[in-house]
Amino acid sequence: MEPPKIWRERRERYLGIGNKCLDCNEKSFPRTDYCLKCSSKNIEEYKLSKTGKILQFTQVTQPAQEHIFYSPFIIGLIELDDGIQVTGQIVDYNYDDVKEGMKVRMTFRILSIDNEEGLIKYGYKFVPY
Amino acid sequence: MSKLGIVSYGSYVPQYRINVEEIAKVWGEDPNEIKSQLQVNSKSVPGPDEDVTTMAVEAARNAMSRWKGNPKDIGALYVGSESRAYAVKPTATIVAAAIDAEGALQAADLEFACKAATAGMQMCFGLVKSKMISYGLSIGSDSSQGRPRDPLEYTAGAGSVAFLVGSENVVAELEGTYSVTTDTPDFWRREGAVYPSHGVRFTGEPAYFQHTVNASKGLMEELGTKPQDYKYVTFHQPNTKFPLRVARMLGFSKEQVEPSLVCRDIGNTYSASSLLGLSQLLNKAQLGDKIFMTSYGSGAGSDSFSFEVTDEIERVQAYQFNVDYYVNRKEIIDYGIYARFKGVLR
Ligand SMILES: [Zn+2]
Repeated sequence: MEPPKIWRERRERYLGIGNKCLDCNEKSFPRTDYCLKCSSKNIEEYKLSKTGKILQFTQVTQPAQEHIFYSPFIIGLIELDDGIQVTGQIVDYNYDDVKEGMKVRMTFRILSIDNEEGLIKYGYKFVPY
Repeated sequence: MSKLGIVSYGSYVPQYRINVEEIAKVWGEDPNEIKSQLQVNSKSVPGPDEDVTTMAVEAARNAMSRWKGNPKDIGALYVGSESRAYAVKPTATIVAAAIDAEGALQAADLEFACKAATAGMQMCFGLVKSKMISYGLSIGSDSSQGRPRDPLEYTAGAGSVAFLVGSENVVAELEGTYSVTTDTPDFWRREGAVYPSHGVRFTGEPAYFQHTVNASKGLMEELGTKPQDYKYVTFHQPNTKFPLRVARMLGFSKEQVEPSLVCRDIGNTYSASSLLGLSQLLNKAQLGDKIFMTSYGSGAGSDSFSFEVTDEIERVQAYQFNVDYYVNRKEIIDYGIYARFKGVLR
C-alpha cells in the first residue's frame, strides 16, 4: 500500500465522505472529480449516513492474501438511510444469524495490514445493532 | 457562569469474551481459586480487525454523538495507551481524522500505564481553564497482552473510553484534582518486548494501594471532604478485589464503589479502566451527586478527581451505546479462537 493513496482516501474510508453535485443534487460515493450524472465539476463533500440496512450479503471464505487473517468474513450490500448503496464487511455477527433488512451502523476497523513493518489501513465496516 | 468539567463521554468494549474457566483449563489450574482471588469471571478480547486505534475511535465517536457538538471545536486530543498499534505514528492523529477533527489541533499519545488517560484529562482541564482551548478530548484505549500462563492472562482485557472536557454544557463539574508520582518498578515493558513483566507480589501494597490511598487522601484533605460526602467512588480495576479493598481502606462503603465495577465481566481494560467506572457512575448519577475517582498507573502514580453532577446530566444519560450496552453485547470464545485473535497463531 502506498502512503499517498492511503492518505488521499482517508476521509472516504474513515468518515464515508463522497460528494454532492451543486447543480443537479446527485450524491455519489466514492468521491469523483465531477458529477456522474450531469458531469458538472460544481461539487462539494457529502457525508454518508452512518446507519442503514442490509440488502444482500455473502460469506467470503477464499479472500485475497491481504485479508486472509480475517477470513471467513461477511461482505454485504448496504442501503444507507440517505438511499446511497455501499458495500462493506459485516462484523461482530455470525453468518447464520445475519438477515436481509437487518439494521447496521458504521464501525471503524482494520481493513488490511501490509506486513510486520507496513502501514495499517483503517476504514469503515458495518455492525448490526 | 461557566463551569469547568466533563461535557461528554463515550466508551467501547469489544464483544468477544473468554471465561476464566477456559484459560484455567489450558494450564491445568483451578478456576474457582482464581475467580475467588480476582473476582473476575471473564475478560474482553478484541476481534481480529480491532486494535487500540479502532477502539479509541469508537469511544471518541460515542463521546461525540452523546455531545452533539462540532468536532472542529476540539482544541486538544490525547490518547493514553500502553499497547498502541504503531510505536511511531500517533494514534491521536488517526482518531482526529476519524472524528473529523483534523486541522488546528493539539494532539499527542501519552503513556503512564493504566492512568495515561486521566493524566490527559488533567492536561485538558488545565488548557480549558487557562482558555487556551474550548474543548479537550482525552481517550484511554488498551488491548493488553498477558503472557500465556501468567496470572495477568486471566484479566488482561480490552476496551476504551473518551472524556470530553470543557466549560459549556458541563455534566459534572470538577471540584479538584490531585496526583502522586513515585519511581516504583511494579510493572514494565521494555521497547520491543511483546509481553509486560511485573513484580508479582510487589504489585499490591507499595504500588496500587499506597498510590491510590495517598492521592485520594491528598485530594480529600485539600478539598476538606470525606468519603461520606460522596454518592459514588471508583478506582482503577486491575481485578475486582483491589478497588473493593482500597475503598474499604479509605472509608468508602461497598455500595459507593460497587455500581462502577465492570471488571468482573470484561477484565482489566488498563488505561480505560477507572474511566469506564466513572462512565458507569455518570450514567446512574443525579443532580448534586458528588463522585470521587482515583486512577492508578504502574511505574507508578495515581490521579484523584472530585466531581459534582449538574442538571445537564439527564441530557447525556439517554445515549444508547453506553457501557452497559457494550458489556452486555458478548460472544464467548474458546482458547483456540482467542489465540488466533491475539495473533499468537500466525
Ligand atoms: Zn450533477
